[in-house]
Amino acid sequence: MILTKHKIQEEVSNGTIRISPFDPASLNPNSYNYRLGPTLKVARTRGDDSVSFEEIRIPREGYLLAPAKMYLASTFETIGSSVYAVSLVGRSSIGRLGLFVQCSANLGHTGAIHKWTLELVAAKPFLVYPLMTIGQVSFWVNSKRTDSYHGYYGSFDIPTESAHRQ
Amino acid sequence: MILSKAEILYGYNEGKIAIDPFDEERLTTNSYDLSLGRRLLKYTEEVIDPRKENAFETFDIPKEGYMMQPGEFLLAHTEEVIGSDFFVPLIHGRSGVARLGLFIHVTADLFDIGAHLRSTLQLYATLPVKLRAGMPIAQVSFWTVEGEIELYNGKYKSKEAPIPSLIYRDYDTDEA
Repeated sequence: MILTKHKIQEEVSNGTIRISPFDPASLNPNSYNYRLGPTLKVARTRGDDSVSFEEIRIPREGYLLAPAKMYLASTFETIGSSVYAVSLVGRSSIGRLGLFVQCSANLGHTGAIHKWTLELVAAKPFLVYPLMTIGQVSFWVNSKRTDSYHGYYGSFDIPTESAHRQ
Repeated sequence: MILSKAEILYGYNEGKIAIDPFDEERLTTNSYDLSLGRRLLKYTEEVIDPRKENAFETFDIPKEGYMMQPGEFLLAHTEEVIGSDFFVPLIHGRSGVARLGLFIHVTADLFDIGAHLRSTLQLYATLPVKLRAGMPIAQVSFWTVEGEIELYNGKYKSKEAPIPSLIYRDYDTDEA
């Protein structure tokens, strides 16, 4: 089951869901609008196929994403719950402009409460602004008693690269 | 919980799920197959800027089909108007279409409860792929909710489709 606006609000009020900072105006009928954090990690590829990431602050006047290139970003808000699973996707207004938010991995584990890393890929050159409203998070009921996530990525509040060694 | 085929049909017959036009043959085990509508929308801007209204053109898919090129991005729509005031619809690509290298949405799969629309599809091709009006392209599944329901009252209301992004309207009131 997916939580409605009123249930999300209720669970934020009693501390079962953490969204910080929280603005009730950002609630949708069955999700919450999250914002883009202030930094991006830009991938640099070298001749030997190795990839490294350079962190940049998104300027006020915007940062131009090149098409078909992957950038790491993060949510501005700290989001999570020890009771519900989360799903983070882009807003339809952003998808309609051709920006992929999350490349296929939209499921967030129960118990991970942090600023989520987002993968951004633009279909066309695309301007992003710091703290723009970029995506929606929804909350899902677990069917049975749950074990909380204690994995590696859950400890990070900055755009975090893959731990897979190439 | 996700509705089964029988529950979707029951919800449709009870008036709790709207799918128009509806054809029982299109029900699958956990979803309903949606067709591609005729109208396409293409942005004509070099750079997409979410703070302004981005220019676009619309055109109809010709009889012989429209050949979409790798890297091309188009908005399209489902032929069907779908929605529910009781369940949350999620839009998925059909696996047969995904196997052609075609994304049917780039990110936003979630419908708001209470929105009754032709779903705007965000098509992105990774291989050359021919679009034909009426082709089965997507699936909608329906999910039960927990909590008191407040229906969608947002900016995407028109049943005409595809609807371009209206995000620039947020910046009249939004400092972000």
